[in-house]
Amino acid sequence: MIKNTESVFEVDTLKILTDKDIALHKAESGFLNAEAFGETYERVSLTRLVPFMNEEKYISVTYKTEDNEWKEIGVIEDIRKLSEEKQKIVREYLSFKYYIPVITKINKITDNRMGYLFLEAETTAGPKKIAVNDWWHNFRMIQNKMLSVTDADGNRYCVPEVEQLDKASVKKLQLFI
Amino acid sequence: MNLKLSLPKGVDEQSVVFSLPFDIDRSAKRTDGHLTATKEKLSVYYNGELCEQFLLEDIMEIEVEQLIGCSMLCVKDALGKQKFVCAFSQKHFMRFAELAKIIEHYLKTGIFTETTDADEPACPKCGISLNGSKKCVYCEGDKGVFVKLIKRLAPYKKQFFFSLFATFMLYAFDVINPIFQRILVDDLIVPNNADWALFFKVAACILVMNLSSVGFRLLQENSNYKISTAYGRDLRRDIFNKTQDLSMSNVAKRTAGELINRVSGDAATLQDFMTRQGKDMIFQTVALVALVIIMFVTNWKLALIVVIPLPFAAYLSIKSFNAISIRYSRVWRCQCRASELLHDVLHGVRVVKNYGGEEREIEAYRKASGKWADAVKRADILWYMVQPPIRYVFTIGEFCALFFGGSMILGGQMQLGELIQFTTYVYMLYGPIQWLTSLPRVLAQAKVSAGKVFEVLEEQNDIRDNESAKDIEIEGDIDFQNVFFGYKAYNPVLKDISFSIKKGEMIGIVGHSGVGKSTLINLIMRLYDPTAGVIKIDGMDIKDISQNSLRSQVGVVLQETFLFSGTVLENIRYAKPDASFEEIITAAKIANCHSFITRMPDGYNTIVGERGYSISGGERQRIAIARAILHDPKILILDEATASLDTETEKQIQDALDRLIAGRTTIAIAHRLSTLANADRLIVLDKGKVAEIGTHTELLKNKGVYYNLVMAQRQTAKLKK
Repeated sequence: MIKNTESVFEVDTLKILTDKDIALHKAESGFLNAEAFGETYERVSLTRLVPFMNEEKYISVTYKTEDNEWKEIGVIEDIRKLSEEKQKIVREYLSFKYYIPVITKINKITDNRMGYLFLEAETTAGPKKIAVNDWWHNFRMIQNKMLSVTDADGNRYCVPEVEQLDKASVKKLQLFI
Repeated sequence: MNLKLSLPKGVDEQSVVFSLPFDIDRSAKRTDGHLTATKEKLSVYYNGELCEQFLLEDIMEIEVEQLIGCSMLCVKDALGKQKFVCAFSQKHFMRFAELAKIIEHYLKTGIFTETTDADEPACPKCGISLNGSKKCVYCEGDKGVFVKLIKRLAPYKKQFFFSLFATFMLYAFDVINPIFQRILVDDLIVPNNADWALFFKVAACILVMNLSSVGFRLLQENSNYKISTAYGRDLRRDIFNKTQDLSMSNVAKRTAGELINRVSGDAATLQDFMTRQGKDMIFQTVALVALVIIMFVTNWKLALIVVIPLPFAAYLSIKSFNAISIRYSRVWRCQCRASELLHDVLHGVRVVKNYGGEEREIEAYRKASGKWADAVKRADILWYMVQPPIRYVFTIGEFCALFFGGSMILGGQMQLGELIQFTTYVYMLYGPIQWLTSLPRVLAQAKVSAGKVFEVLEEQNDIRDNESAKDIEIEGDIDFQNVFFGYKAYNPVLKDISFSIKKGEMIGIVGHSGVGKSTLINLIMRLYDPTAGVIKIDGMDIKDISQNSLRSQVGVVLQETFLFSGTVLENIRYAKPDASFEEIITAAKIANCHSFITRMPDGYNTIVGERGYSISGGERQRIAIARAILHDPKILILDEATASLDTETEKQIQDALDRLIAGRTTIAIAHRLSTLANADRLIVLDKGKVAEIGTHTELLKNKGVYYNLVMAQRQTAKLKK
């Protein structure tokens, strides 16, 4: 009976990956390869499990099986616990996958009362004029702290901590959040 | 869609077929890159320099992958190795997806299409995403929308004219009335003149005017009422009819709530705009001009004193409105969030109680409610601070007119009656001006609603009958020939599906979750059209069969049965509105539901649905089967019809289904493979393709995908024991 259970249900447990458990390197193809528990995985994917709570903690490392299914190799508990080189690789990968420029200053917000909100803002990707449609859904606060913005094309922007913005920007924002 | 947006520096336009800019490099830094494509290769340029090339002959697959904040183009070589080509922000996504589709088509067929008829993803004027719409709601001029709205008034133009005429007449009486007051004061009261003939003439005129105004008011109200009800009714009818005509993919673009809002909310806004504000717009403008002229004719000096502050007051009013409306829209949002929370908690009250979450929810609601109250306070404070000064600026002319008019009376340059007449006009002038200051808001609201309504009314149906489409008597043969389909064309769910089903066959479709089983039956019902390939019924392309004829002969029993609010009888009869009561009972008996219906309080007249008598999942399912039996379909589709039921109920339903299946072409999807024991053949789907076709025994012998599925289920069953 026990044997049967094992063959049918392989109970999935949380595997925390320490620095020793995993080796990561960027392949020529541009993707990330990994070695863990004696296996080599090509084109692994890193996913932030709690992106709104902590960008550096709980990073799931997955790979695609031959059946096109994503399987988890394990979870990196904290990027900072990895070696310098791995930290660099992981951060570079995540900043690419989660390409979300940070809004650093808000110059102007206008609501055209046709469902669109226009933001003229300074971002880490340069000055932007961001058009947000259906802004009730696409311009919202998360956990009363972080502002998440998705523009009409699907690009994402964020303000990690609204209260950290300059006073003038916060004042402009407050009417819309 | 333009796939030659810009070229890398130094590259000749004639030397490439496609050229798209991209803006992100491998390290997630902004870059100025270009990807060019020819029949032979893809070339990647960074800042005008050629960095990498991919020969098309080495590429097996090409795909666009959407990440969280950006997307990338990847290729797969003959060894199955994936390679990164370039990355871009989402505004370029649709263009790269279209380019990938063209190259994929070339890799499969050897045909290189140099143009594409796909729609532009963004408005060429403002650059805002069109979201699949043909027109940019933002850029489309007011004129176009308003002309369409006015055109819809055509059937009621007589009533509109009467209403406008009556309004003008009533206003004319208001304008004339002060003249009579002036005559009474200046010619009779002040000089103490007992000219009874003049008095009776004036009194008679006032009486006639008052009596006529009753008639005109009646005419105005009556016409308004007629236009308002008819305009709203016709608009709601047209939007609703259109939502019923549109295909599933058209309808699925919007949520049910959004469509409901368009049928009721937006239609009501437009009804109000056209019957009240639209007419007012003409009337108030004319009234304003007329009053200003009359005032200048009466006394140009006083008129000037009154008119000078008005533009300034109007400007202040519009500006303050913008500031206030933003605050009130915040109140609305806070109120919605508090309501959402309330709805959530009350809806999930069992979960809250089970997990002892009362304190948490009380705190969350207290916060939301507090935020709402705070938003109201802020908006109200601004309103009460700003409004009195603006009102003062508006009416300052009235005080000046009284002051200077009084001086004129004392100086003998003006009579008392004249001043009374003049100040009445001044007072009347504020109405049109204040109305006109709210005009931008009224127009903006109407434009938004009209944009949404016309978007639905003018939407092209994705699924259209061919011109030669006709009604046919379906026998039940089904053919899939190299069918490809994806809800998004660049992401196929079904790939190269080919099989034949003979009339009367019972076919089971099996495969893992998300493999495309339900999608396949959606294609048979023609809720969607394949991206490529042909589906034939009785040897005829499904597109040549009228949709009505096709769907009236295909019956469906789904896992989740929807019952309309109404009686059991009405719900079964939905499949055949002209069915006799005897036919309905017969269908109910075959479906094993007659016995439980007889035990219900009101038998076949028991109200079911959202607010009706609550019935179990199994009972629901049997009503659905009775509905399908009454429908008497030539092709029957069972999509997980017994999946959510316990074994005992499943058996009862299986009996009912066996009776329903007899003699019909049946396609059944079931997760529990035992349910398909009676199937003549099984089609096994894997990774969007047909992996195996055969009988249960044949497939077990093959030891392929089906064998693995069966073994996995047997093990699970053993464990349960």
